Amino acid sequence: MAVLLDKSTKVIVQGMTGKQGSFHAKSMIEYGTQVVAGVTPGKGGLEVLGVPIYDTMKEAVEATQATASVVFIPAPFVYSAALEAIDSGIELLTIITEGVPVRDTARIRRKVLEQNVILVGPNCPGLITPGEAKIGIIPGVICSKGNVGIVSRSGTLTYEIIQNLTLSDYGQSTCIGLGGDPIRGIDFKESLRLFEQDPETKHIVLVGEIGGTGEQEAAQLVKEEISKPVYAFIAGNGTWVKPGKQMGHAGAIVHGKSGTAQEKLRILNEAGILTANTPSDIPNKIKENM
Amino acid sequence: MSMLYEFEGKLLFKDSKIPIPRIRIYTDVESIKQFAEEIGSDTMMAKGQALAGGRGKAGLIKKVTKDTAEEYIKSIIGKEHKGKPVAAVMLEELVEITKEYYLALMLDNKSGSYLMLASTMGGVDIEEVAENHPNEIHRTLLPVNIDPQTYHFMELGKRMGFKAKTLTQFASICVKMFKMALKQDLTLIEINPLVITPNDKLIAADSKVVIDGNAYFRQSSIAALQSQRDQHTDLEFEATQAGISYVQLDGEIGIIAGGAGLSMATCDLLEFYGSSPANFLDVGGGANDEKVYKALELLSKMDIKGIFVNFFAGITRCDDVANGIVSATKKLNFKVPIVIRMIGTKDVEGIKILEENGIHAYNKMEPSALKIVELVKGGN
Repeated sequence: MAVLLDKSTKVIVQGMTGKQGSFHAKSMIEYGTQVVAGVTPGKGGLEVLGVPIYDTMKEAVEATQATASVVFIPAPFVYSAALEAIDSGIELLTIITEGVPVRDTARIRRKVLEQNVILVGPNCPGLITPGEAKIGIIPGVICSKGNVGIVSRSGTLTYEIIQNLTLSDYGQSTCIGLGGDPIRGIDFKESLRLFEQDPETKHIVLVGEIGGTGEQEAAQLVKEEISKPVYAFIAGNGTWVKPGKQMGHAGAIVHGKSGTAQEKLRILNEAGILTANTPSDIPNKIKENM
Repeated sequence: MSMLYEFEGKLLFKDSKIPIPRIRIYTDVESIKQFAEEIGSDTMMAKGQALAGGRGKAGLIKKVTKDTAEEYIKSIIGKEHKGKPVAAVMLEELVEITKEYYLALMLDNKSGSYLMLASTMGGVDIEEVAENHPNEIHRTLLPVNIDPQTYHFMELGKRMGFKAKTLTQFASICVKMFKMALKQDLTLIEINPLVITPNDKLIAADSKVVIDGNAYFRQSSIAALQSQRDQHTDLEFEATQAGISYVQLDGEIGIIAGGAGLSMATCDLLEFYGSSPANFLDVGGGANDEKVYKALELLSKMDIKGIFVNFFAGITRCDDVANGIVSATKKLNFKVPIVIRMIGTKDVEGIKILEENGIHAYNKMEPSALKIVELVKGGN
């Protein structure tokens, strides 16, 4: 396996009877993911795409022994759905939904830390292990199997970078979309550790953006623990960025010097991480380094 | 995420029983007279309400009398302060101050917990204090699921040098702030300064309150005022109404992109090639043709030299994007060059729709960004 998931991972889709849930469950199944159950309260007994729907996570986990779930549920109901998933014994919880109140995320995060569950998201594209399985919405067609691990705070910008790598014949081990919210589940640090331990990953690409300190913490970790080469691209590295303004993502807001792309790039460079000026420059950096 | 005006924050404080000076929003000359009577004094503060810091330095806060107040108020109301309007003027009773402190509660992104910050150096820029006097800032970290009680804040109060009745007053204000934050989904409550009066009473002399925009669905009373609160220019407000993330910038090329990270990278790329973005614009995932049309309509109202549309479609469909572009170019009569880059879901269909209408589309980001920069520079 690469990291976090492979084709043997059994996945439950929370909100599978909804428009988003059914659409993306279909694409996950087509990619090879073992979607073993869906959960929608009040719709138990139905079947969608040949997959049984249950009323509760507990029933779904008992019936299928699934270890992962993915949440495609409107923001006001995410807190409850996430708690239910954690209480049912899920080990990997991915929340795709955008617009979750930050206090809800903070409470979910606290619970996953207490119970040793891995949370990805919210407001994220999910994850994909090319050629094996995907959880979430990353288009499978742009990925190819290989040994570059990608961890990113963005959605479409990640696709841009994945495609640039694929076109340059650098396949990917696993791509992890952390999400654009200020409080999130796993961050760069945890992802770097996973990639470091994964024998299939030879290079690690980190895609960050303005706001927060996740990239700086990653730089520190790279100095201390990571032996594999790490490359980075940081969005928002222009003089156009306005302090105090939110750039789409709730997490992308600069407060003081620490959140700027320039400061992040400086610290990443200091840690020996090779940084790229444009998304298409990442494959060049890998080539130069080999 | 949106900030509240000082008077709105203070009204929330009042509801939560956090002591504030007596206040009143100016409406006409009568409101000044009534307020003078209410507080039993002819002198008062007049404070311009704008969603930006540094109001004192900008002359938007002044001690006035009931006779001079109106002239001053008329001279500042509606004025622009750091790009934000002075939306109202608040009258406030004078408070006798022995010392100024700083107190703030925030949801800390790094730890996912609440952080209470306090300092004996109040009334000044807290970032300066943090940089030059880091030992003067005291912190208490509290889990997000806590039920706050006064004992949680006694140690913090002692570190601040409070004793006896003032210590319990301080802890009680902390608890009230905490309950407010939990109940109303506030991500920041800042009191700078928190003042102590000669008879040892703690009073919130200012307020800065930020509410989590994602929580509007369960904060209907605050949501109703959203339009006045968000720090928007007019186009930004129009975009918000259409569900588009838009930030006005100062450059020459208008951009439209799908996804926040890609929008930022698009702005970066224009600068990298020697031009500058006129805006940040993310139509969001799964945008349809109407949203793309709306985005172009926003750009049509701007003074720009070119337009760059950049989509890497995942949930979004390129044929939808193309239909939006075609109807916009037909109706809006753009006079500046437009470069379109799109790839991903249904890109073959999308490019066909564009080409049938005589519009060329690129599939790579960097060359297309370079193209629009060349077109704009060449046109000079």
